[in-house]
Amino acid sequence: MRFSAGDSVRVRLDDPVHHTRVPRYLRGRRGVVAEYQGDYPLPDTVVLTNGADRTTQPLYGVRFRAEELWGPGQATTEGPFEVWVDLWESYLEPPGERS
Amino acid sequence: MGASVVRPQHRGVVVRINDVGGLQGFGPIEVDEPEEQFHYEWESRVFAMARTLRDSTGLTLDEFRDAIERMPPADYLNSSYYERWLTGLCTLLTERGLVSPEELA
Repeated sequence: MRFSAGDSVRVRLDDPVHHTRVPRYLRGRRGVVAEYQGDYPLPDTVVLTNGADRTTQPLYGVRFRAEELWGPGQATTEGPFEVWVDLWESYLEPPGERS
Repeated sequence: MGASVVRPQHRGVVVRINDVGGLQGFGPIEVDEPEEQFHYEWESRVFAMARTLRDSTGLTLDEFRDAIERMPPADYLNSSYYERWLTGLCTLLTERGLVSPEELA
């Protein structure tokens, strides 16, 4: 397992043409690993192999500050808000790296 | 629903118009809308067919999502939730040779 709770991570900038569970608004954004959810088949690979390859990898719940995603105006009123997204390990990199 | 509903999409580069998170201009989301499982009877049949396909062929949720994402953008945006399910089902059934396009016409 590459990451654990509390680690800062960055979502890879990849823009795959196939099915993936990374929403576009998260690409390149920084977040913090909230928890390890268990190992699950990587959806990208499942689809690319027509369901044949169900190799698992760690799935993490990752928290993103609203300002990191939508701009500084988000911190003002009722916040601070966060977006929590479940992301597979290969979607993530340490924040210092650029794939 | 027109004939486009049953047209299988190729697996190359497609738009995947489903990925609209963060895009503005779709209007407010009705968070207090009363929950209703099905709005029309045909929707429950689509739901049952999707479950049956999964249980009988080992179809994964990922493949089902992918089939829906491959819809032509205009069709996707003009379709309701279960119309998208039906389109995804038709795509997978024809791609796997379980149903012919003629049978769906």
